[in-house]
Amino acid sequence: MKSKALKVAAWEFMEKVKSKAFIISLILMPVIIGGMAVLPAFFASKEDTYSIQIGIIDGTEKLIEPLGEKLDSKYRLSHDQPIYFLRNLSVGRSLEEGRAEGARMIASDAIEGYFYIPSFVFDSGKIEYRTKNVGNFKIQERFSRVFEQVITEMKLSSYGLDTALVQELTARVEIKPIKISDKGEESETSFGETFAKSYVGLLMLIFMILTSGQLLVRSMVEEKSNRVIEVLLSSCTPRDIMVGKILGLSGLGVLQMLVYAVLGVALALKTNMNLLQPEYFAFTLVYAILGYVLYAAIFVAAGSPATTEQEAQQITAYISMLMVAPFALIMLVMQNPNSLLVKVLSYIPVLTPSVMVLRVAIQMPPAGEIFATILLLLVSIAIMMWIAGKIFRIAILSYGKRPSLSEIINWVREK
Amino acid sequence: MLKVTDLRKEYDGVIAVDGVTLEVKRGELFGLLGPNGAGKTTTIRTILNIIKPDRGDIYFDGKPFTNSTWNIVGYLPEERGLYRKSKIISTILYFANLKGIEPKKSKPLAIHWLERFGLKNECHRKIEELSKGNQQKVQLIISFLHNPQLLILDEPFAGLDPVNQILLKDILLELKQKGTAIIFSTHQMEQVEKMCDSICLINKGKPVLNGELHEIKKRYGTNFVHIEYEGSGEFLKEIEFIRRADVYQNYAELELTDISRSTELLAYLNERLLLRKFEIVEPSLNSIFVNVVGGSQKYLSVNG
Repeated sequence: MKSKALKVAAWEFMEKVKSKAFIISLILMPVIIGGMAVLPAFFASKEDTYSIQIGIIDGTEKLIEPLGEKLDSKYRLSHDQPIYFLRNLSVGRSLEEGRAEGARMIASDAIEGYFYIPSFVFDSGKIEYRTKNVGNFKIQERFSRVFEQVITEMKLSSYGLDTALVQELTARVEIKPIKISDKGEESETSFGETFAKSYVGLLMLIFMILTSGQLLVRSMVEEKSNRVIEVLLSSCTPRDIMVGKILGLSGLGVLQMLVYAVLGVALALKTNMNLLQPEYFAFTLVYAILGYVLYAAIFVAAGSPATTEQEAQQITAYISMLMVAPFALIMLVMQNPNSLLVKVLSYIPVLTPSVMVLRVAIQMPPAGEIFATILLLLVSIAIMMWIAGKIFRIAILSYGKRPSLSEIINWVREK
Repeated sequence: MLKVTDLRKEYDGVIAVDGVTLEVKRGELFGLLGPNGAGKTTTIRTILNIIKPDRGDIYFDGKPFTNSTWNIVGYLPEERGLYRKSKIISTILYFANLKGIEPKKSKPLAIHWLERFGLKNECHRKIEELSKGNQQKVQLIISFLHNPQLLILDEPFAGLDPVNQILLKDILLELKQKGTAIIFSTHQMEQVEKMCDSICLINKGKPVLNGELHEIKKRYGTNFVHIEYEGSGEFLKEIEFIRRADVYQNYAELELTDISRSTELLAYLNERLLLRKFEIVEPSLNSIFVNVVGGSQKYLSVNG
């Protein structure tokens, strides 16, 4: 009866391809991912186009001058105007008055924010920054760097060192990253590019699995509530229906991936990003498809007992949490793709697809590990499908109250 | 065609069906009756192999359910519903395809049936754009498009207007003529009375009445004769084999001591009155149903 599963698959595929939800997600996803992955980087690296007023309350009374000089020489607009204008808020005011004035000026947008430099800063190394916009890390980062420099220089010269020597001693070093592949080829690659590549890969995987998982659970709930399931069950076995659904959904995923692959190639050609390594492409696709099928089975197992739209949404929300977890791992994997922790995580089936998609993007793992993880995924899919089949068979006919976990475990045990 | 013996199904200690035995022949309309929760749906589901019985045998032409059986059964569930967003014609073709009929073959059939139900021009619209009654027609088409040998319909007439009820009745009789075995489950006694050859009445999971309809009626037959006449009916009370007579001006209800003497009565009355109507009143299925299900011990004991 394999052909009946294929018929179900063909129907599920065709009906969902035509559905609005799918078409919207197909178009919306690159937009959202583009927005999430590219825009922040774009804004962060954006050239400064206007000057900013910053207030200073200098408890030491000697830092503000060298600070202003350093900022002037370092950060300038394209037409050679300094970016940062410092306003000394402590002139002729007590500390309290200075602070009150600072708060007033922030409120009226006369200044972006103000720094309070306590008199004991040389010992504590702590400076306070008050602003409406705490999230603007660019100012904080730049100022803390300049403060560091100024304070170090002042300390060093207080030990009697000559200013020129101090500048030589505190010279900054910049590191230019060059990626070396396993074949020993060098390619210039930036942190941003690797980050974007892995981030986009992971985002696509998660988005696709979630949108289609939602479609799957909703269609199961619909079939249950309108009793179409009974007509289906009088035509073929529950296994046919389940396998058909999973196949149809995976077909949807493959189609989606092909569309994005074409988009990706076009993007890569345009931006000269190094996306075109064939093995990166191939393995990302393999892990994505396997992950897709594994999660489809998970969605069937978890979603088939649902009887209402709300329950279905709750279930998708829980699984989403499981899926979003790997985002916390991006940095970890990027910093050390060969650490023991990353290796261990690669062998937890629900995480395997996403962790491996990350690893493939950052540094191609050894062939043995690729082989082992693919094998692991295949075995997990087989087990998960078996469990899902057991649950699905009974769950699709249970209406009304949602079964408890122990009931579901009993269904799986039943032969 | 279908033979079910001693079916039993239990859910978590609650007995849904116990000891149901029934037989449906080709070309027979079989009524599956019972109050709500009696076990009709469970019986249907086990016949269709949707659920497995705990005990009992189900045979189709002497063979148990196999992979080829899927394609010879058709089913209309009681609660209606279809894929709301899908087109009518593609939904019909999909279900036909699942029953092993290629779209090439099923498309002209689907168009034929849609035309008969007056839906031909709607066939490219979405299901959700149809009225409930029209959706039900689409579901009916789905249930018998593949020309099943066994067709199971749960409350097929509910929700249809009188015109379409007649249309459906005609179609069912045509299918019956072609040799299809049809089971229909319902509470609508008049439909059963007019159409069914045999019935099985289930109550609380157990079969309480089973067999050919006219046999059952005979078994529950009363001794009542209703007559309409011209003339004086006063003498009716004097006839020795009439136990009781309600005599009105031109109408009387008579209870005989023995219904087999009705011909004798007819001849006797013909001599004395101008008879307009002479009717041996069968109990309606409705009254049998109420009697049996209402828990009358007398009737239950008759059936063991």
